[in-house]
Amino acid sequence: MAPARDTTRKMIGAGLLTWLVPGAGHWALGHRNLATVFFLAISFPYWTGLAIGGIKNQVNPWSNPWLFLAEMGAGGYTSICLIVNQLAGDLDPRNLADPKYLSKVSPQQRAEFLKYMSYYPESDVSQIYLATAGLLNILAILDALSRAQTGQPTFDQQIAPAGSRP
Amino acid sequence: MTHEIWPQPMGWIPFLHPVKLPPGARLWTFFPLILCVAVVYRATRSRSVRDMPRATAATFAYICVGMIAIAAAFYLLHRLVLWLT
Repeated sequence: MAPARDTTRKMIGAGLLTWLVPGAGHWALGHRNLATVFFLAISFPYWTGLAIGGIKNQVNPWSNPWLFLAEMGAGGYTSICLIVNQLAGDLDPRNLADPKYLSKVSPQQRAEFLKYMSYYPESDVSQIYLATAGLLNILAILDALSRAQTGQPTFDQQIAPAGSRP
Repeated sequence: MTHEIWPQPMGWIPFLHPVKLPPGARLWTFFPLILCVAVVYRATRSRSVRDMPRATAATFAYICVGMIAIAAAFYLLHRLVLWLT
């Protein structure tokens, strides 16, 4: 009973750590090189996408909930970005839920707020990068769970022929 | 020169103020992203990092060729529709 509980604890820990920081779960399990690979290959598209699109537009559950859901695959990054989004600058991200918000404010405010906004093609590239990074981290989480449970990568487990099972 | 291609306002803050991509750069952003996808996909199939480089390069090439083939097919379809109408 105890080993099963240990495995479950290890899986939950690895999954949560990977959700917080890509590769952290693999690091904790002792796969240091793989952890570095996951960290770089997921952090690069996430932070590149964010730099291209800007935090106000791209980490905003009020204006783009589906993108936010995909980004939450990399939950640690996205949670920090959401907090920064609410604290930084004088543009409340909730206001961007209204697509016509920028045409309702004064011209001075509009000029100020436009600095935070990204448009085509930057906005498209940014969304693709951020959503991909979030979804890739879900793959990394599944891999961390698999390695915590069996010690093997997600897609490496061979299915035994039906007759050979004990 | 760089400033002309990539103009940024004064007081620019990374991540808060978006970056303006150089003209024509949009399609080139495809390659780094596909490389990351190939790396992560292969990392989930590898027992160690030593197994990864060749397999990652092959996956990267397959995805690129596949995406270019899809783009070419849609372009031809688009030309065909224009020709028929």
